[in-house]
Amino acid sequence: MKLTALRLHNVKRFGGRGIAIENIGKGVNVLCEVNEFGKSTCFDALHALFFSPYSGIPQAVQSLRPYSGGNPLVEADIETEAGRFRLRKQYYGGRRAQVSDLATGRLVAQADEAEHFIGELVRGGQAGPAGLLWVRQGNTGLERRTKAEDDGEKRARETVLTSVQGEVESVTGGRRMRAVAEACEQERAQLVTAQGRPKAGGPYAAALDTRDRLAAQAEALQSEVDALHEALDQRRRVRSRLSELNNPEDHAARQEAVTRAEARAVKARLHAEKLGTARAEAALKRSLKEASSAALTTYAQAVERHAKLTVAAAEQDARRRNARDHLVTSQNVLESAVQAMEEAEAEEAQARALLERLDRALRAKEASEKLAALHQTLTEADALRQSIEAGEAAVRVLSLPAETIDELEAAEAEIARLKAAESIRATHLRMDYVTDDVPRVDGDGLLLAPGQEVPLTGQTRLTLPGLGVLTVRPGIADGEAGTLADLMAAALSARNSCLDRLGVDSLAAARHRQRQAREQSDDVTLLTQRLAVLAPQGLEVLRERIATLEAEGKESFAPETPISDALAQAETEAVVSLDQVREALGAAARKVAEARRSVSELRPRQDLAHQAVIAAETEGAALTAEMEALNTQLGEASERDETVRRLSTQAEIDQGDWQIADARVQALESEALDLEAVEASLSRTRSVIDGVEAEKAGLAQTLAELTGRIGAQSEHAVEENLQETLEKLREADAQVARYTHQVAVLDRLRGALNAARTNAREQYFEPVLGELRPLLGLLFDDANVVFDDETLMPSVLRRNGLEEPIPVLSGGMREQLTILTRLAFARLLAKQGRPAPLILDDALVYSDDDRIEKMFDALHRQARDQQIIVFSCRQRAFSQLGGNRLILRDWRPDD
Amino acid sequence: MTVRFLHTSDLHIGKRFGNLPEDLRGRLREARHTVIDRLAAQARAHNTDIVLLAGDTFDTETPSPQVLRQALAAIGGHGDLRWVILPGNHDSLAAEELWEQIRRSKPENLLLALDAEPLWLTPQAVVLPAACTARRPGRDLTAWMENYDTGAAVRIGLAHGAIQNFSEDGIGTDVIAPNRASLADLDYLALGDWHGLKEINAKTWYSGTPEPDRFKHNRPGQALIVSIPGRGAAPEVTTVDTGVFEWRTLALELFSGDDPAERLDTRLPPGSLRRQVLLRVAASGRTTLPGRTALTLAVAAVEPEFAHVALDEDQLTTDCDTTDLELIDHAGALREAAETLLAETQNPTLDAPSRTVARDALVRLFTYCEAIQA
Repeated sequence: MKLTALRLHNVKRFGGRGIAIENIGKGVNVLCEVNEFGKSTCFDALHALFFSPYSGIPQAVQSLRPYSGGNPLVEADIETEAGRFRLRKQYYGGRRAQVSDLATGRLVAQADEAEHFIGELVRGGQAGPAGLLWVRQGNTGLERRTKAEDDGEKRARETVLTSVQGEVESVTGGRRMRAVAEACEQERAQLVTAQGRPKAGGPYAAALDTRDRLAAQAEALQSEVDALHEALDQRRRVRSRLSELNNPEDHAARQEAVTRAEARAVKARLHAEKLGTARAEAALKRSLKEASSAALTTYAQAVERHAKLTVAAAEQDARRRNARDHLVTSQNVLESAVQAMEEAEAEEAQARALLERLDRALRAKEASEKLAALHQTLTEADALRQSIEAGEAAVRVLSLPAETIDELEAAEAEIARLKAAESIRATHLRMDYVTDDVPRVDGDGLLLAPGQEVPLTGQTRLTLPGLGVLTVRPGIADGEAGTLADLMAAALSARNSCLDRLGVDSLAAARHRQRQAREQSDDVTLLTQRLAVLAPQGLEVLRERIATLEAEGKESFAPETPISDALAQAETEAVVSLDQVREALGAAARKVAEARRSVSELRPRQDLAHQAVIAAETEGAALTAEMEALNTQLGEASERDETVRRLSTQAEIDQGDWQIADARVQALESEALDLEAVEASLSRTRSVIDGVEAEKAGLAQTLAELTGRIGAQSEHAVEENLQETLEKLREADAQVARYTHQVAVLDRLRGALNAARTNAREQYFEPVLGELRPLLGLLFDDANVVFDDETLMPSVLRRNGLEEPIPVLSGGMREQLTILTRLAFARLLAKQGRPAPLILDDALVYSDDDRIEKMFDALHRQARDQQIIVFSCRQRAFSQLGGNRLILRDWRPDD
Repeated sequence: MTVRFLHTSDLHIGKRFGNLPEDLRGRLREARHTVIDRLAAQARAHNTDIVLLAGDTFDTETPSPQVLRQALAAIGGHGDLRWVILPGNHDSLAAEELWEQIRRSKPENLLLALDAEPLWLTPQAVVLPAACTARRPGRDLTAWMENYDTGAAVRIGLAHGAIQNFSEDGIGTDVIAPNRASLADLDYLALGDWHGLKEINAKTWYSGTPEPDRFKHNRPGQALIVSIPGRGAAPEVTTVDTGVFEWRTLALELFSGDDPAERLDTRLPPGSLRRQVLLRVAASGRTTLPGRTALTLAVAAVEPEFAHVALDEDQLTTDCDTTDLELIDHAGALREAAETLLAETQNPTLDAPSRTVARDALVRLFTYCEAIQA
């Protein structure tokens, strides 16, 4: 949207006249006039045209009216994408709103529709800024602001960021929003805490407390009321019961019942006594009757019995005699059987004894024979043993060590070999005698036998009988001869040593001894074998057996029957033969058995007979006793019939008496009253009266108590109190509900406000900041502002190569920032396809000329695609601004 | 010989009005006490000496001794009149202690209609009472009147309870036969329980309470003067005013274009009466955001003039359009919040309480904005 013209009539100081600004163009438009020329009037009129409905007269409209009164008229021509239109509003008298198409002059809308049309022009969309951007002298928004607010703002110099934030909020309606939010918070804070709980001490909490207190009170009162009602109910029941009990008819009826019962009881008791007497009498008669009847019966029975017994006694006597006879007989038989048995037993014993003796004698004989044999064997064995020992001793003497003999043999062989050798080499002498009767040459013992060569082994002196002594000395031939002699000497020495050791004088003797020893040894072996046959387990065993046998023999034969006697007897009796004896014993045993069986058979019979006798005797005794008793009972036999007659008469009399008495009892019983029932009835009727009286007493007490309680409670007017408390409680509940609702309403409002604020901030703050960033350098001379990329916060200011912290803003910077923010917004809106005019009314009062020029540059740079309308009184400074200069002209409306 | 009497009921003496402000409570209770004097005055003014109290003379079964004795004393003070008192459901015969005390300390001119037997006022006029035996007797207590012959005397039935759905406590089980008067050949049946005056038929009337105690009936306190020319003759019934306080419900039907304050102002009772009026403004229809605020302010403005004022807006719908939202803001976040809330008030998927909350939040927002602008 662009403004092309503004006209107003009868507005403020232009009472009764009008002015017009025509030809407002694109880009920067400047209306630069002295103060009080009407710039602010134009501004206010324009604002009213767009934002104050024609129908109302809010303060903004009231301020338009001149002091002289009249009806302010404002008219503006605009250009939008849809075309060019003229907006006109008149306030107070003839109030109206019109929109007409400038091209056709046609009326497009009027009244509310016109307002709607205008509303759409400036509607910035949800949470957006209005379609016109304003900066007014000295402050930044269009909202009315208190002086304190302005002062506060001057004092608190804000940072760029908070300023921009404030400006964004301002453009998007934030200042009022803040006030509203604060009011909402304040009101909410009176009721609840930040967490939404009822605030202690606040009216909401107080209402809740009151409600709870009343609820408790109502409950307590309710229980009191319930108790009262309960007491009333109870008392009603008690009273009704009491009146029932006190009914005089009932009382009389109860008394009457007692009287009747008493009369009945007296009568019944009397009758009962009579009946008792009659019963006693009848009982007496009855026992009399029974006694006499019993006596009769008893007597009759005794008579009868007596007769029977008399017969029985005779029979019994015969039986007894029989039994006795039988007993005697059987006793005799038994005795003879027993005797036979005893005899047989004796016989058997004898046979057994004989057999035993015989047996023992035989065994003794055998034993004795065996013992003799053993003694013989032992003697022989002893002899053998001695022979063996002697043999062994001889062997030991004769035996020569075999190796020595071998050695001797070797030595003899060597000697023989050596002799042979010597004889071969030696000088042999042989003398052949002329006759056999000539003396024999002898030399050194050497006798020269005729024709026998004898070797000379050394110097040999030969005695030639009769001739002298011839000495022959063989010459020493060579060394061998010496050696031979040595060997011979050694061999001889060895042979002699052996002989010495063997204790024999020759080898032949040695061999002889050897043979003798062997022969002796063979003998010993033979003897040993024989001994082994005799006593295979050795002599000791043999001796032990002998000792055992001897000992047994001593035991077997007692001293009184010396073995010899026994043997003698055995030998004499043995003639009878053992077998015969055994046979006799068998026969005897059979006889004994026979006899015993016989006795066994007879003994029970004898016992039976005995018992029969005892039974017969007992029976007899019993019969006798009974008879005696009966006799005593019955008396003399002659009087018995008389007695029977007497007894039966008495019984008849007694029977009659009893029947009479019994008839009386029956008669009385038939008309008897049930005494127990009568008594029970009496006690019941009496207890009814007692119970009634007791109940009456109890009820009276209960009644008194209840009455006291009810009286006390009634006086406290509990029901009224309860009613009142319940009503109060209802009111308190309503109050709580109202507060709860209020809190919900405030919460909801707060939520809506916060959501809208957040939304606005998100939607505009950052985009505006983005647009603003390139413009911000203007604020800080040649400085570069470095923004934090993430937060978009200006972080450092770089000036002349030096980094400075962001300073707080001066008043001049603040207003420049205001303009720049609007420019940024304008750029944003233009980008969104909704270009909006920016109107500045003496917006730069704190800025110096130098800075103003810089702002002008910015405005111009911006104004390429942006309509900017500047109202200013600073003619000199703003002469530099350039742009389209606007002129105020007088104007009258058409009609 | 014309039989004439004053018929009233439901005095509810001793009622405390716990849900109302403390100072008003005292005045209302006082008015219930002095109603006896006003009844007496009306009886005298209309030339009768008989007052029939058709039940619920006392509000509870256990009135405080002061309440009871002062009431009895007041009745006794009007010794030229005869008062017939019938137990109602609030002060039924089950309240033995109450009736015992009344019996003990009643003045001579007070007749107790406690039993189902005729009570002869004069040889020519007999009252047939049907005292409530309990809070809920569970049967028609007037049945006995049918078979009771009283000769040529004028028969006046006296009963307390519901006919059809005229039950003050909303308990409609113990119903009195609506045609009891004709069934029992009564010349008049004086009924109590319903707090509003009501003619059931020519011979059967509810007198209503002489001193109203709630907004339900929207009538001033009245009593009936009944004149019966003779046995079988139609009774002549006239109403007389007896109330001190008026419980008035002002049904304010609004349309969007109306100025609620103006509408209210024209409907308010004259200033001279206001001190004795408990006013309930029952607003219904539609109004705008400013209208609603204006109504609240207007009610608050006149409130001090009345005994009591309550504003019931439950039936009042708030119309809200963009024009109203313009008053909050033209654009921006505040406007957005307002739009959100407005959408919620018209959102059919939300439950009614949530819509109400949204509506009130919007009204509140509007109020804040107005305060900021002012």
